[in-house]
Amino acid sequence: MFFRLVGDSFGRRPRHKLLTGAALALGMGVATAALSVALDVGDRLAREFRSLGANLVVTPKADSLPLEIGGVDYRPVNAGAYLPEADLPKLKTIFWHNNIMGFAPILEVPVQSWTPASQTAFAPKINNETTLIGTWARHAVAVPDGGTFLTGAEKTNPWWQVDGQWFAEGNLECVVGQNLARKSQLRAGDIVNVSPKENSSPAVALEVTGILSTGGVEDEAIVAPLSVAQRLAGKPGEYRKLYVSALTKPEDAFAKRDTKTFTPAEYDRWFCTPYISSIAFQIQQELPGTEVRVIRRVAEGEGQILSRVQMLLWLVTLAAMLAAALAVGASSAASVIERQVEIGLMKALGAGSGAVGFLLAAEQLLLAFVGGGVGYALGIVLARWLGEKIFGAAPEPTLLVFLVVLGLAAVVTLLGSAIPLRRASRIEPAPILRGE
Amino acid sequence: MTELRDTNRAMFWRIVRRLLGANRGRLVVMLLALGAGGAVTAALLNLQVDAKRRLTTEFRTFGPNIIVAPRENSVHGGSPETLDESLLRRIPQEWYQRGIKVVPLLYLVAEAYKTGSDRRVPLVVAGKGGSTMHVGVNGPPFESLISCDVGTRVAAEMQLRPQEKLILQTRVREQPCNFNPTSATGGPEDDQVIVAMGAAQDLAALPGRAGMIELTVPGTPQEITNCIATLRQLFPDADVRPIRQFTEGEAKIYNRINGVLTATIAVVLVLTAFCVMAAMTNVAIERKMDVGLMKAIGGATRRVVRLFLAEAALLGLGGGLIGAALGILLSIGLGKAVFGVAARPRLIVYPVAVGLTMLVAILSAFPLRRLASIRPASVFRGEA
Repeated sequence: MFFRLVGDSFGRRPRHKLLTGAALALGMGVATAALSVALDVGDRLAREFRSLGANLVVTPKADSLPLEIGGVDYRPVNAGAYLPEADLPKLKTIFWHNNIMGFAPILEVPVQSWTPASQTAFAPKINNETTLIGTWARHAVAVPDGGTFLTGAEKTNPWWQVDGQWFAEGNLECVVGQNLARKSQLRAGDIVNVSPKENSSPAVALEVTGILSTGGVEDEAIVAPLSVAQRLAGKPGEYRKLYVSALTKPEDAFAKRDTKTFTPAEYDRWFCTPYISSIAFQIQQELPGTEVRVIRRVAEGEGQILSRVQMLLWLVTLAAMLAAALAVGASSAASVIERQVEIGLMKALGAGSGAVGFLLAAEQLLLAFVGGGVGYALGIVLARWLGEKIFGAAPEPTLLVFLVVLGLAAVVTLLGSAIPLRRASRIEPAPILRGE
Repeated sequence: MTELRDTNRAMFWRIVRRLLGANRGRLVVMLLALGAGGAVTAALLNLQVDAKRRLTTEFRTFGPNIIVAPRENSVHGGSPETLDESLLRRIPQEWYQRGIKVVPLLYLVAEAYKTGSDRRVPLVVAGKGGSTMHVGVNGPPFESLISCDVGTRVAAEMQLRPQEKLILQTRVREQPCNFNPTSATGGPEDDQVIVAMGAAQDLAALPGRAGMIELTVPGTPQEITNCIATLRQLFPDADVRPIRQFTEGEAKIYNRINGVLTATIAVVLVLTAFCVMAAMTNVAIERKMDVGLMKAIGGATRRVVRLFLAEAALLGLGGGLIGAALGILLSIGLGKAVFGVAARPRLIVYPVAVGLTMLVAILSAFPLRRLASIRPASVFRGEA
């Protein structure tokens, strides 16, 4: 009988139920879409922030202070310490190795450069004093647990633009900073000779494969494969500075605490969260003799903006859910208010207040689940579309959102009907049936 | 004729009033739905305008984004090229009010040692000018003891302890200074000692010169591009360039965030409008009895529909006025929660939100047109 009554109510007023359901579905669609976007946006934006490049810098612990002004290091080559290149694959063995998006070792050598074309019988050769930056452009690192990882300056310095091509690893090739290229009239395809300023390593002829523009000091420099720089500096298999770009979680108050004050449980939590400080710590453990520093300028700005945007979207989500809840609640309230006659009749036929309330609540719940389900599907489609439009990747539908949305739908419809239901339970059947 | 129209009009409003007041429960429900819609519309619109502006300010936690450096060819007798500090006067005054920070810098290599120690450490000294409008061409007079910000790696290398003095020495002069520890930045500052501009100029024997000027310009990517263009006109002899790492990254991220925010808000607003509409239509459909009665006593379909539209518009106005006011208050609170600064309410948002709410209310009354086909007799017989 109970089910028959519920079924009857749906069959008798299909349009009415359809509209309440539509309000529910739309409201829950809003909630789903906003929730999915808010849940997903942190990860997506963190990836976007990697376009700012490296957020960690690794230097030898025993290094002397660099004397770098305007990109020129005034420190002699033999001063300071170096690090072994062979250790680098270990970076992909740390706990958060999947969060290491890229890394590039740097070895700078002060050099003199000239072009063969400028070396004629009449004109003296153009002799530029410049810096040769040895690094990786697109280097395949063999990862200890099998496979390779493609990394280099392209990943750590994504704002570097090469007009032409990057040099190929292992070849005697280079890219030339745009200012230097203008000064020495170098074009892609030309040959540039470089010889180290401070030792007697023989000069090397490099083919220019592209012109580099960075907006920084590299515009005045030559960028070549790390092996070339090692050869010129007489430091085979060594580098001086390593830039690492890592996906991190914005630092909160917990992450800013001194690690020495942690209890073992807190320490585990810190270690197992991709805070920039814990990633730095893990890198330091893997690469002995190094000092890993967080590039605060990048990391802090990133953390701050990420947490702000995330919070903003959560608030938008909350506001959306609130509005949807109010509208849906109003809709269900209306559907109860309009049924006074029916309630009066049921009570006149001997139904108790509880039975009437239960029947109406069951109806509303059924509607909530159907409407919520449809709304979830609608919201997921919308969120996918949004995600693809903005980030080029759709957020994964999660069970959590589904449960939250269904729960919200049920709570909202029940709350919306609660007040009219209470009033309905106080209805005296006689005046209603008389039409008063 | 006019009299009749007046009576008609009075009657019209009287019926509208009665329609509104007839069922208090229904009135509350409708106002609630419309008010919620209006509140969300106003809050999100206000927040969206404000959040974009705030984000551009947030981006400046990345620090400077434009550099003015000497052009490579302007050689100054072998030493690194410098700019005349008086160039700063060319920067328009109103820029400072817009929150643009201008910092002249001068780098030099010096040797540092602690009093009572022989160990000399060569390092980079950075002179940093204050971000003020008052630029002394000659720099402040030489002081006997200044304070200097010592980078963490310098402090570690020299084993400096708090309250210790260190002495910076160049070919031309010695400058004692008080050790002021700083926290690690991961940037070149860790390897440097930062002193006041005047002291650096004295140490380098370059009075009134700056190695470069750093500008911190808040704003959208477009505003920053405009600013660079203006600077290039102001300093034709210098090299003005954006710090691409930040300007480019920022432009990308800003566009993404802007996209997320705008799209999310648009979706939320559209769906909320539909949701409110569905709820309202649901209520409106229940008015068969009213319509049947009006038609039975001779109401023309046009007039009946007009009555209900007037009712809906009034409801929309009421709900919108209350809801939008609440929404703006809400957005002020939200702005404070997210950015720590209350969002400035924009007056334009209020009428827009009220207007949108009314529009939704009127649109949701439109299904009533279908009631025109109602036959009064069947309504009164109780047929559905």
